[in-house]
Amino acid sequence: MKRTALLVLAGALAGGLAGGCWESAPPEGAAESEPLRILSLTPSVTEILFALALGDNIVGRSNYCNFPPQAGKIPAVGDTIHLNLERIVSLEPTVAFVVTKRADVVKTLEGLGIRTVALESDTMAELMQTIETIGRETGRTGPAGTLKGDIQNHLDKVRRRVEDLGRPKVLFAFPMAVGSSNMMVAGRGTFVDELLNVAGAENAFPDTADWPTITPQRVIQLAPDVVIVNAIGKDAARDRVDAIRRAWENWTSVPAVANGRVYILRDEFLTIPGPSVGLAADRLSRVIHRPGPGETDFVQERDRP
Amino acid sequence: MAAKNRNPVAANPDTPGATGGLSASAPGSAKGAPYLEADGVGFAYTPGAPVLQGLTMALARGRLACVLGPNGSGKTTLLRILVGLLVPSEGRVRLAGTPLEAYPRGALARRVAYVPQETLAAVGFTALETVLMGRSPHTGALGFESSGDWHAAREALRRTDTERFARRNLEELSGGERQRVIIARALAQEPDVILLDEPTSFLDIKHQHGIYGLLRRLVAEEGKTVVAVSHDLSLAAAYADRLVLVSEGRVAAAGTPHEVIRPEVLSPVYETPVEVRTDEATGRPYVLPRPAG
Amino acid sequence: MNIRPLTPRRYVLALAGWVLLWLIVSAVAVVLGAENIWAWDSWEKARDVLTLRLYGVLTAGAVGAALALAGLAFQALLRNPLAEPYILGVSGGAGLGVILSSLYLTVMAAPVFGFVGALLTVAVVYAVAQRRGRLEPYTLLLTGVIMNAFYGAAIMLVTALVSPERRGEIAYWMMGTISTFDPRWWLVAVVGGLVLAAAVLFAFLAKGFNLVAVGEDTAGALGVPVDRLRLVTFVVASLVTGASVALAGPIGFVGLICPHLLRMALGPDHRRLVPAVVCFGASLLVVADLVTRLLEGIGGVAPPVGVLTAMAGGPFFIYLLRTRWRRKIEIR
Repeated sequence: MKRTALLVLAGALAGGLAGGCWESAPPEGAAESEPLRILSLTPSVTEILFALALGDNIVGRSNYCNFPPQAGKIPAVGDTIHLNLERIVSLEPTVAFVVTKRADVVKTLEGLGIRTVALESDTMAELMQTIETIGRETGRTGPAGTLKGDIQNHLDKVRRRVEDLGRPKVLFAFPMAVGSSNMMVAGRGTFVDELLNVAGAENAFPDTADWPTITPQRVIQLAPDVVIVNAIGKDAARDRVDAIRRAWENWTSVPAVANGRVYILRDEFLTIPGPSVGLAADRLSRVIHRPGPGETDFVQERDRP
Repeated sequence: MAAKNRNPVAANPDTPGATGGLSASAPGSAKGAPYLEADGVGFAYTPGAPVLQGLTMALARGRLACVLGPNGSGKTTLLRILVGLLVPSEGRVRLAGTPLEAYPRGALARRVAYVPQETLAAVGFTALETVLMGRSPHTGALGFESSGDWHAAREALRRTDTERFARRNLEELSGGERQRVIIARALAQEPDVILLDEPTSFLDIKHQHGIYGLLRRLVAEEGKTVVAVSHDLSLAAAYADRLVLVSEGRVAAAGTPHEVIRPEVLSPVYETPVEVRTDEATGRPYVLPRPAG
Repeated sequence: MNIRPLTPRRYVLALAGWVLLWLIVSAVAVVLGAENIWAWDSWEKARDVLTLRLYGVLTAGAVGAALALAGLAFQALLRNPLAEPYILGVSGGAGLGVILSSLYLTVMAAPVFGFVGALLTVAVVYAVAQRRGRLEPYTLLLTGVIMNAFYGAAIMLVTALVSPERRGEIAYWMMGTISTFDPRWWLVAVVGGLVLAAAVLFAFLAKGFNLVAVGEDTAGALGVPVDRLRLVTFVVASLVTGASVALAGPIGFVGLICPHLLRMALGPDHRRLVPAVVCFGASLLVVADLVTRLLEGIGGVAPPVGVLTAMAGGPFFIYLLRTRWRRKIEIR
């Protein structure tokens, strides 16, 4: 009851504001003549916006948008599961970007009178499309194009470097939960899978699947040559990393274990489809393919432009 | 007839020659020292509301004694204290001169058997298994039963006329049949002392007399000591060597049936007029209640 | 129903039979699984998978035995055939301890905190439910229910406060996990040892359980130290429950199903039930774990074993309730 009343009130307020601000589909270039107040509800979008020099225009972000560090100063409004609607309204955004397939989130925001752009970034192609869309919506088509080009160049550079280095079978996994045995791995067709391809590897998991949870027996059956475990957040703690490493060392029939090629990476940007994908692919490639003569070893911690 | 003992504090039905005690005509009074005695026993379930106070009684070995008294007089509590299930707040209980607390649990269980009033838990044990439980003070730590245990159990079933229920579940039996099985369990314990709480309350006449007859034989032929709480004055008078009348947590009267089954003794305690006659065949008194009004 | 004397020879034979059942079931469970390892040419791979399966089988055996034994003990203690190890809130306490430890302290100490949680719960429940040294069945049951409610709320609070990935982990763990990527052989050995010790203890207490089931006064008069028996049983059963939760998370209904099935087959005599329930409980959970592994081969995902026991246990519980209502049970 209270929520409905609030929405009605918010709608009236926003309607009043919006009525004075915009038309239904602002033509290209018209956005430059009015202040751009952006609401970004996805970390990758926030990164893209900063990369397009729109950091100052972001008035609200999700709780998880932590990069770049300046993003921390922007007020947080919750996440796609639970939005702080009052706060959103009080920030008076003119446009909202969110990466989600959930129609109800979009409907909620539009119900507040905020123009909402739903984006997708499950594949590299979709990422490029997303950058383009954001560029168009914010009147930054130029910088968007440049960004796309930079990413593409970086990826191509990685591709060229690993061309002749063979294609080992690589398993990309998140660590298993405490007390459980099963772990989430990147299936074929996911974003990470594409990164692996760029990095010159074949995904050890052969089926097209989003992020399946598999058992250790399956892992042993798949017999990857290289295992990359992405330990982030709480998993990045020292004792947890040691525990993960010890757990893997039990299973010497796995070629990656036998050859000492299990890597536990603590970088947080590896799975974010944003401006750092080139860096992510680079990092992965240096882990998967040992440095050749004259090349330095891979960077230990994350290192962003 | 000896003077009636009205002193509520010291009622010893067996001390030979005690003032106000029993006449020497009581059979077996010369047997000697009390075997089972309560000495100034007091007990309260909730503090401030004592159920028993200053209760003293003594029983020689080889006697059948019945404890009588109106509802709520503390008879069941007394029995539970005599078994050792409750610890009196004052006074103590002695068995063969030794305080109950001095006996190790197992040793006590081998000497004293208890037949409680109601046993209705529907657990699924057969009559035979129930009687075998009576052997548990004698079986080892893991509870294995020897052929001697089985023999004792079957014998107990025979003596209580319950052999044909051996393989039937206890909850399938009638109240009376169940009661006899429980008594058989006590017999299987092969105890010195048997304490029974209203053992014939659910039984028909045939079985009432059967059980009391059995108790009499246990006392006469095997020298056991039996204490039975009863609400049936005439039945108790017909079989018991000694009667103990309990009222409001104290002993109101104790002695032979002739001494206790008297209108002037019973009426004040039961608060109802009674008439006492003598059974010419046995020489024992019996009670005729006067209809109210 | 057996009406034959329980002699040492029969006891040992029966025990040997039950142990044999458990051994056979365990051997089968190690050899079967979703992956057809016999078609592999690599011995190292097969060895690793067999090791994983062996660990799972031993874990399931220890946990199943622990829960079934604790269930039997609680049912004897409370004289309530519907009592389960979890009704006393012990698993809730152990679970909360493990979760809090994994999240806010160190993950490695989680089993220790599981024990701590179980023991703390035991202490609290005992303190609340005891009166002048006696443990009262009704108060015990009620206190347990309240503790469970409290722990449920606490775990929900923790779940709400943590990040979404952690929520999934907690939810998954709460459904019970037998197999693990990081075998903790030492913990399995500890739990197994505890279960064995508890089983031996309860074998000696079995006589007393029979008598207490019939009635407290009866038991006391036959030489059973009823209050001490209650206390010891309560503490040991709770410890064993807490240990199994620390190892495999909360798994329900095993403590209910096993004692009842065996009672229907063997009768209410605890001397026969104790050895049987240990081996049968172990076997049951081993089979349940095997089924989850086989289901993975079919559906691609292995359901947590707790889901399986709940889905079997729920209808069984209802069936029990319906048959029990027809027989009057008095708790004295």
